[in-house]
Amino acid sequence: MEEAEKELERRSKFLNSLIQQKKKAAIESEHEHESSLKVDVRACDMPLPLQNRAFQCARLYLESMPPANKLDSKRLALALKKEFDSSYGPAWHCIVGTSFGSYVTHSVGGFLYFSIDKVYILLFKTAVEPLDH
Amino acid sequence: MSEDAKKNIAGALTARPNSDDQKLSPLPSPAPAVPPKKVIIKSADMIPDMQKEAVDIAVAAFEKYNVEKDVAEQIKKEFDKRHGPTWHCIVGRNFGSYVTHETNHFVYFYLDQKAVLLFKSG
Repeated sequence: MEEAEKELERRSKFLNSLIQQKKKAAIESEHEHESSLKVDVRACDMPLPLQNRAFQCARLYLESMPPANKLDSKRLALALKKEFDSSYGPAWHCIVGTSFGSYVTHSVGGFLYFSIDKVYILLFKTAVEPLDH
Repeated sequence: MSEDAKKNIAGALTARPNSDDQKLSPLPSPAPAVPPKKVIIKSADMIPDMQKEAVDIAVAAFEKYNVEKDVAEQIKKEFDKRHGPTWHCIVGRNFGSYVTHETNHFVYFYLDQKAVLLFKSG
């Protein structure tokens, strides 16, 4: 009888511990979510993995900058273009800014126009023609 | 007393011609001519004739359209037509870019406050 009580107490403690861990994880998850910059896809013709790659790249870049710093559009554009040229083959083009319009022709599956925080990003691919001699 | 009254009337009469003159004196000035847009070529890898063509087409497009996307569309399509595909155009007040372009087919210029990026690729 005494042993049964001890066992129940042990199980109770274990369950309580599990609950606490879950709560902690949930809180951390919320915190992580809060720190993520909001992404809105405005127009897209691109496989999901590539989209996520672009979002991650842009997010990492923006989060790495001190909050007070002004956006360096050209540097972010370069970072994204290089990432995609090296990962998915040339030629990619990237436009980053807060106020622009565009009209481009892109390869199939190579177009993404999204906003993250207050920045708009256009990323698209064109076919590379072999150099003529 | 009656003499004073006469003086007042005379004063009033003299005032009116002055105000009439004031009304007439400012002649309507002719409407001021619209100043030409300021053009600054920021960066170019393009023959001068083609650069001028790009600027002229852009000026016309800005006169015709208000939306940046429409301006970009007009410029891109005109160049696709005249110089063969494939051209790309970005128009705006605030943007940075990094692109790959064909040799001799890239220009980046300002028309007043608006930047225009035009390049060929693919």
